[in-house]
Amino acid sequence: MTRLSPAERLYRGALRCLPPEFRDRFGEEMAELADERLRAARRAGALARAREAGRLFADLGATIPREWLAARTPLSSERPEDNMDILLQDLRFAARGLMRRPAFAVVAAATIALGIGANTAIFSVVDAVLIRPLPYTQPDRLTLVWGTQGTQANQGVVYADYVDWRRLNHTFADLGAFRGQSVNLTGGDAPDRLVGAFVSASFLHVIDAKLEKGRLFSEVETEVATKAPVAIVSHEAWVTRFGSDPAMVGKQLTINGTTFTVVGLTVANMPVPLFAPGPDVMMPIGYYPNAHGLERGTRGITVAGRLKAGVTVAAADRDLKAIERQLANDYPTTNAGTSADVVALKEFGVAQTRPRLLLMLAAALVVLLIACANVANLQLARGASRTREMSVRAALGAGRMRMARQLLTESVVLSLIGGIVGLGVAFGLTKVLVSLIGSQLPIDQRTITVDAGVVAFALAVSFACGVLFGVVPAWKASRTDLTGMLRSRIGAGLGHVSTRNALVVVQLALSLALLASAGLLTRSLMALQRVDPGFDGDHLLTAQFRLPAAKYDTPEKIWTMFDRTVHELRSLPGVESAALVRASPLSGNGETYPTTIEGRGEVAASEAPQVQLNSITADYFRTMRIPLLAGRDITEGDRAGALPVVLVNKTFADKTWPGQSPIGKRIKVGSDDWWTIVGVVGDARHFTLDETPLLQAYVPHAQRPQIFTSIVVRTKGDDPRTVATAVRQAVWRVDKDQPIWRFRSMQEDLDAVVTSPRVMMWLVGIFSVVAVLVAVVGIYGVLSYTMSQRVQEIGIRIALGADARRVTRMVVAEGARLVGVAVAIGLVGAFAATRLLRSQLFGVEPHDALTFVGVTALLATVAILACYIPARRASRVDPMEALRTD
Amino acid sequence: MSRQESAAQTPLTPAVLHILLALAEGERHGYAIAQEIEAATEGDFHMGPGTLYGSIRRMLSAGLIDESPHRRRADDDERRRYYRMTALGRRLLDGELSRLSRVVRVARGKRILRDPGVA
Repeated sequence: MTRLSPAERLYRGALRCLPPEFRDRFGEEMAELADERLRAARRAGALARAREAGRLFADLGATIPREWLAARTPLSSERPEDNMDILLQDLRFAARGLMRRPAFAVVAAATIALGIGANTAIFSVVDAVLIRPLPYTQPDRLTLVWGTQGTQANQGVVYADYVDWRRLNHTFADLGAFRGQSVNLTGGDAPDRLVGAFVSASFLHVIDAKLEKGRLFSEVETEVATKAPVAIVSHEAWVTRFGSDPAMVGKQLTINGTTFTVVGLTVANMPVPLFAPGPDVMMPIGYYPNAHGLERGTRGITVAGRLKAGVTVAAADRDLKAIERQLANDYPTTNAGTSADVVALKEFGVAQTRPRLLLMLAAALVVLLIACANVANLQLARGASRTREMSVRAALGAGRMRMARQLLTESVVLSLIGGIVGLGVAFGLTKVLVSLIGSQLPIDQRTITVDAGVVAFALAVSFACGVLFGVVPAWKASRTDLTGMLRSRIGAGLGHVSTRNALVVVQLALSLALLASAGLLTRSLMALQRVDPGFDGDHLLTAQFRLPAAKYDTPEKIWTMFDRTVHELRSLPGVESAALVRASPLSGNGETYPTTIEGRGEVAASEAPQVQLNSITADYFRTMRIPLLAGRDITEGDRAGALPVVLVNKTFADKTWPGQSPIGKRIKVGSDDWWTIVGVVGDARHFTLDETPLLQAYVPHAQRPQIFTSIVVRTKGDDPRTVATAVRQAVWRVDKDQPIWRFRSMQEDLDAVVTSPRVMMWLVGIFSVVAVLVAVVGIYGVLSYTMSQRVQEIGIRIALGADARRVTRMVVAEGARLVGVAVAIGLVGAFAATRLLRSQLFGVEPHDALTFVGVTALLATVAILACYIPARRASRVDPMEALRTD
Repeated sequence: MSRQESAAQTPLTPAVLHILLALAEGERHGYAIAQEIEAATEGDFHMGPGTLYGSIRRMLSAGLIDESPHRRRADDDERRRYYRMTALGRRLLDGELSRLSRVVRVARGKRILRDPGVA
């Protein structure tokens, strides 16, 4: 036997793709025939041989799917012309049809690709955030428990209450306590900050923590009274911080000044509620460094619970609320007015995200609908121009179903091509989307990918689109009136005009709704960007650090460290001024306390005004450029032991003492001491830009030192981040073991606040522009087509004396009628749609007249301009030419 | 209406028609069918192995052809299977050919198709 050539070997390999039964029976003979063909071709030259090889593989490529399909259908249903043959025939027909009109195919597929791409990208985020089950064992049974204090919900939980819940409840398999806090790791080359979690042993069981090595904590180790210095390190921290040390379990770590022994190492990517990604290190809750964090009356911890099988969240909620009522009876001083809320873990963090994501998905869906309507319209136009072809085919005996099926196949092929290209678009768009909004999502952004489920979604949507925009034209075409169509071509397809008009109206109306939404979001973003934060964000650098409580165990030690740090920072070159503040604006940190006003009588904690309290050093207002409106600033003289002083903001002053000066008045906030007001400063936005102005109070760090603080530095240079290294070294000159983190320019924080609204505005804006373009092309297409069908009529009108202006007007009026109907429907839709936007808007009403008038005018103008082109063309019809055509 | 009759009304695919024509003169194995078709059409109809054997499989299951128990020659490769036309296959071929000849007659009557050799 002669040796096989590479092509022959390849052919034999490819034969393996055939169904086994078919291959066993015919494979050998097929290979022989192929060999013979190749040898014969070789004698005719290399080109002939390549052509023969191409033919052989094309033949095999068609045979493989056909035989697999046949192998799966029962023999009895087979006919020489089976379904697969019809499908293949239809596919060939579709490919030929599309190839004949490449411009049509490209435009249609690109529109669909854009629609599918946008939908798929947004769906991949929606899937990860809202649909996919959380990555825990039996995630539906996991809950979070929040404390409520008077009217304030979503508060932390009192540790003592948690202990009582655990003892008294009937609805939870178990409850676990945890609290996240960054911790200082020392003993390495440089002090390092780790993301820490202080947890109870039961918490690890509630979330079903999985370890790669070692063991979990025992109950005794995490009890506050009997705590043991043990730690569990995450797989990621083990790799990145500890160089995958094989002897990690058993290693000693110095965290916050205490030596912990590592007893466990988690599996990779282990999920922990409220952490995305998970914490670097977990320690017993008893080591939670906030000194009073675990006392009755202090809301210091977060609680997660696993429901007993079959128990609903509502039942657990009733259970804990009943226990809370009992506790309020037992401890009236600390527990009056307090309660608890049980919520599904799945619900955490999505309350804000859900409307945004669904809004984006809705916008993308509208674009897809418009794209479908557009392709349906193009198909109808083609169907009309192919009326004769269809009539001939029908006359020759082609069945209606068969013809409809052929056209439908064409639509689905087109749409699937669009879908596949759209998937490519989606891959890119998802990356862009995640980079823009990933940090704002309540989940680990690495989990957002275009996975198999998303791909299935995209292909299902494309298939559905193909059917959606194919079924009407197919049905219309199959109902062709044979004799009428063959007899004349005048009026051919005019029957489709009403359908096409309806499609155009739908497109324009949907575009208007989208355009209105984009308009409102733009106005809202502009309003948000116009908000005066109350401070000057330029040239400001911020950073954070937390002193280890074990090392800085007295207020004096803390203040001495802070004071020295401020002096070091001020002396840095390039620094104009520097200060410390417990929580800098827009950093996400900050505390509010119920406040007592002297002379107003005692009120229940839940009724008292809530004041956002901040501790600052002198020069804070100068550094932030928050204006001092009355009284004096905090000075170096406001030390521990001196009169406790406080500055309040304008809103606090105006609301509490309208028309009076607050200077000299006294308040109790955050402690039992009376603080005397010495000055009034301007309002500064603290948590977000769109918050209603808070009641704010500032006390001297010297009189209320806290271990956690932030640095604010006003720099002279352009990019404040260039002094970050110098700032870090300045702190290290005071304490060489102190890690500092979250170096950010204030401008970054200001930008981050508007990121979500901006991304949403751009997305909806781009979608609406695409929608309008597609819809305008739609109305242009319909009018052009109608005019081309009416050339004779127009010719007669012109011949009878109608002038060009009149003809133009007639055609534009026809377009304007469509636009008018679309605007009427679109406005109703837009009013309904923008109501859903309400929660996303700032500083603009959902029914903002200016926006509505503006977008309506814009759409109407563009649409009527599009009508003008076919109108001009119609007015230039040469009557002689028009009447001569058959 | 039986399956066979409905099948008989459908125009045959070129592959099926050519295979039936090749088997009209007697039983052949697959390779020989391909050669016969190639020769009869002077290379115009170039049937790939997949089309050939795929069609054979479908024609077998439709009952247009069946496998012959005989070997033509003793020295023939024993892996090769021989196929022959069934009565149904014969009827189908006859029907198709007379349909085609009617078509040709009509075309000639309309002077669309000229007699070969006249051109």
